[in-house]
Amino acid sequence: MQTQKIFYLHAAHLVMACLLITLSVSGCTPEAETDKQVVTVWAHSGQGGERKVLMDQVQRFNEEFPDFHVELTLLPEGSYNSQLQSAALSHDLPDVIEFDGPFLYGYVWQNQLQPLDDLLPAAVQADFLPSIIKQGTMHDHLFAVGMFDSGLGMYGNKALLEAAGIRTPTSVDDAWAAEEFNQVLNKLAAKDQDGAVLDLKANYRGEWFTYAFSPIIQSAGGDLIDRRDYLHAESVLAGKEAVRAMTTLQDWFEQGYVDPNLDDAAFVEERVALSWVGHWEYPRYAEKLGDKLMLLPLPDFGQGSKTGQGSWQWGINADARNAKAAARFLASLLRPESILAMTEVNGAVPATKTAIARSPLYKEGGPLRLFVEQLRQSSVERPRTPAYQVITSVFQQAFDEIRNGADVQKALHQAAAAIEQDITDSEGYRSVPRS
Amino acid sequence: MNNTFRSDNRVGWLMAAPALTGLGLFIGLPFLLALILSFTNLKLASPLPLTFVGLQHYARILQDPVFLRALLNNLIFAVVVVPAQTGCALLLALLVNRKLPGMVVFRTLFFLPVIFPFALISVVWMLLYAPGPNGVINSVLELLTFGFWEPQDFLHNQFLALPAIMVVSIWQGAGFQMIVYLAGLQDISEELYEAARLDGANSWQQFWYVTFPCLRNTTLFVVSVTTILSFRLFDQVQIMTKGGPLNATATVVFEAVRAAFERQQIARGSAMTVVFFIIVLCLTIFQRRLVSEDRRVG
Repeated sequence: MQTQKIFYLHAAHLVMACLLITLSVSGCTPEAETDKQVVTVWAHSGQGGERKVLMDQVQRFNEEFPDFHVELTLLPEGSYNSQLQSAALSHDLPDVIEFDGPFLYGYVWQNQLQPLDDLLPAAVQADFLPSIIKQGTMHDHLFAVGMFDSGLGMYGNKALLEAAGIRTPTSVDDAWAAEEFNQVLNKLAAKDQDGAVLDLKANYRGEWFTYAFSPIIQSAGGDLIDRRDYLHAESVLAGKEAVRAMTTLQDWFEQGYVDPNLDDAAFVEERVALSWVGHWEYPRYAEKLGDKLMLLPLPDFGQGSKTGQGSWQWGINADARNAKAAARFLASLLRPESILAMTEVNGAVPATKTAIARSPLYKEGGPLRLFVEQLRQSSVERPRTPAYQVITSVFQQAFDEIRNGADVQKALHQAAAAIEQDITDSEGYRSVPRS
Repeated sequence: MNNTFRSDNRVGWLMAAPALTGLGLFIGLPFLLALILSFTNLKLASPLPLTFVGLQHYARILQDPVFLRALLNNLIFAVVVVPAQTGCALLLALLVNRKLPGMVVFRTLFFLPVIFPFALISVVWMLLYAPGPNGVINSVLELLTFGFWEPQDFLHNQFLALPAIMVVSIWQGAGFQMIVYLAGLQDISEELYEAARLDGANSWQQFWYVTFPCLRNTTLFVVSVTTILSFRLFDQVQIMTKGGPLNATATVVFEAVRAAFERQQIARGSAMTVVFFIIVLCLTIFQRRLVSEDRRVG
């Protein structure tokens, strides 16, 4: 009996302790400041520089507008989207959300975002690069905007290209045609020790392959999905144009033109003359190659040179208590000074024309001006459908198969079939009214 | 007579309760959910109403060439890795079971890979497998073959990728099995060896007629654990090859994760895990039966 008594005594102590802890924790919570409108913000914790700029922006906004208080939470990038998804399921999303571009359409489908058309000042909207509006729009409403966009192109080593006697294009309009590009590779390979003259960042993973290589399908006249209804894929993704483009790409691998680039140094060590990559490599490439560095458009597969676009975006939660305050904060992020501070640290293309005009890299005559021209004329936004998660995953798988020598037609057909099946399973991603 | 729920068993059940609750919550319930979800149209964060689609997902995955390839890869992996890893473990255990000074150092060294996370090991081995003459393994092979070896890109070669992953897995896992074998070895009575030596048995005969039979139960344990672990192959694939090239390293768990988390098709992923569970369950039942028959005979 004695032991039982002691047990009860311990249990009672434990319950008391738990109660005390609960009480003290709830007692410590600070009183909400009733006179301020609180705006909660979630963002991905990017590189150190980006993080600092964002925190500075928040601090400046809070100082400038004493009536508002922005609470910024930074979440690690690796699991960022899944954390957002779980918060969405439990209706715990903050007022302002940052997310990677292609996820936008899923959030709109889930009714998580509200349109920005009337919330953002018209002047700000008119100042954006067309690519930002293209990517942020769904069902004729603008749901998300970014502080910057991305640029995809080909960096060339001037010395190596000149040594091989190659014409270098200067704008999107005189990009190498696919056949001409094959000759370029051939000429370069003839002068190269191991014949590998092209860096496709084959060492990258995941989204890169869709972002970087769907433009060649689009340049040939195909696409990842039929954008007239977003229901069919077979005719565009496994059509003869797409098959031709991907067969050409497979041929580059089979001819040994592509450097596996495991050390990610193929271009800076001048093992290759051409590097197919985005704006983010500019600082490193410029430092190593100096005057030898040049920026070129991607090859033209028949319908003009195309390129990818899209980066991180900001949207406002459909449940935001104070959408106007949230929009105020977004507008402050989109001021030219904020955009320039951000793009100075991450090197991306500024999202507005005003900021571009002031950016040393992207203004008229700047070394990366081509990226701006491309975003104006020839960039293709990722398909604006919630099916994008499936599209990109199956395309990556198809790309892996094609790169390793599989039958191109068959690989693309399987990818298209998987996409169409997912769309059918999801009832065409029909819009579902908010419950 | 079923004595399971007799009143004097109550304390036993009480003591088992925490473990049983954990099992139910973290194994039973998720499996039940997976089973239910595999019959629905559930997608991650989909606003569509949940509907039952019957056996549709099972019918699809069993016709999906990638999933079937993944099953085959798992099978090949188990068939090669289980005997190889068990054999290596036994060899290592025999080596480090000698009573020589400093043996503790060797035991620690052989056991070391087990304590590193697979993520770390995979990254290190990716560097070792680097293609071209500068890759460590390529240059070692070139040296050993007096320059006849042609440098290979192991992880991007459809015939070498799975073997490359097998080697890493065996290297990592053998240390754990070695420890189990070591315990088994040290359990064998010295008198048996003494008797064998008196009968004039040489060391090979001692191993074959004394050590090996005495290790029967240890071996069965090691084999069944290795089989289950080898079917769970995921980390190495995720980090080193992403299932490629040409699905040569896709595995069932990898495909399930890809369906559920990359493509948000929870129902399809659930169906894959259910199929996987049934296979592992069958294997385990089969091996349990082997063990129990053995005990009856012995």
